[in-house]
Amino acid sequence: MPVALKSWKALGTSVHVLCTHDDTRPFHAGAADDALEAASTAVRDVLEDVDEAYSRFRDDSELTQLNANAGRTIRISPLLATAIDAALRAARLTDGAVDPTIGRAIRVAGYDDDFSRIAAEDFDERGRGMKLRAWRVPGWQGIRLDRRLRTVWLPRDVELDLGSTGKALAADLAATAAIAAAGGGGVLVSLGGDIAIAGEPPSGGWRILVAEDSRVRPDGDGDVICVPGGGVATSSTTVRRWSRGGAVLHHIIDPQTSLPTSGPFRTVTVVAATCLDANIASTAAIVRGEAAIEWLTSCRLPARLVEEDGTIHYIGRWPDPASVAA
Amino acid sequence: MDSLTPTQRDRGLQRLRRLTFGATAGGLIAVVGASYVAASSYAGKSSSGGTALTTTATTDTTASSSSTSSTSSSSSLQSTPTAPTTGSSGSGTVTSGGS
Repeated sequence: MPVALKSWKALGTSVHVLCTHDDTRPFHAGAADDALEAASTAVRDVLEDVDEAYSRFRDDSELTQLNANAGRTIRISPLLATAIDAALRAARLTDGAVDPTIGRAIRVAGYDDDFSRIAAEDFDERGRGMKLRAWRVPGWQGIRLDRRLRTVWLPRDVELDLGSTGKALAADLAATAAIAAAGGGGVLVSLGGDIAIAGEPPSGGWRILVAEDSRVRPDGDGDVICVPGGGVATSSTTVRRWSRGGAVLHHIIDPQTSLPTSGPFRTVTVVAATCLDANIASTAAIVRGEAAIEWLTSCRLPARLVEEDGTIHYIGRWPDPASVAA
Repeated sequence: MDSLTPTQRDRGLQRLRRLTFGATAGGLIAVVGASYVAASSYAGKSSSGGTALTTTATTDTTASSSSTSSTSSSSSLQSTPTAPTTGSSGSGTVTSGGS
């Protein structure tokens, strides 16, 4: 089954769209490319909508306007309502381990711009002489979202950051739009390593290299799994790092301490029915630390956890790597 | 049969009123009690909770948002029906990693 690939940059990360040809339709040379073109256009449209709705780094995004109007009831677009609804669900299902009210805490810790610009600055110069500060995470419980009226009210001290769930939700939305545009076959959308799958997979499933950094080449060494549908997400403390006051920081905030997590796991990958659910679980596992294995087991989600010293744990129905054929 | 005196008739009517009142009050208490027990045993479902998301979805201009609205209402994290397998088959490799 032919698979076509298209890649570009959006939302401050890499985007990959893969398409297969619908076997029930007449095959012609370039059929997969035609499907890919339609799917890619649909993905671009979704990502543009996402950027306008909930980018934290755009002054004109809806989210920025909402954060500037905390304390007032604001009517929001369907897309932002869906994203906030997803973030609140994540907070509920993880007992607050994944909390969208970390906005100010992560900004105060130093992640205050598109990361490509932070990374472009000299790592030491930026962090040298700047004290590490923490801002108490106010908690998601104070947010009032009326899904029917599409209104939201934020407490005055709340600054939303939908980064954790927002990218995964975008991958799910993009995959759904892409398969509709392609008119059949199968589609895989990867946003910076968060993967959503729709339609018919290729024979044997989509091959996914599981790594700590999404920039690792797909033909590199490491665990490879085959997934027929749903979503795959990886959260890692080894990427998006910067320094403050001599401390090396990363982007996963523990709402309990309002600082980057410091648990035993540096990378967690989860397979779930959607990319959103996989991302919720992988992020929560990093935050939960030692309790993550028991929690993931109770969720019945296949998962792969990497400890700080490199020890790997496989949870649930994650395939046994010893059985991988060379 | 001897005819009743007015006093006896009045007493009989008063007894009949008390019996009627008692039966009505008892029936009412029984209905309220049974309703309470039923409500406690089965809380029921609100139809408005589901329609809120539907409204969001139907007013959405993108078809994609509607499908995710239903997903995001799930009360637990959802696993795939088919487990992942080892990478000896399949095609179209991509990388899942932190970003």
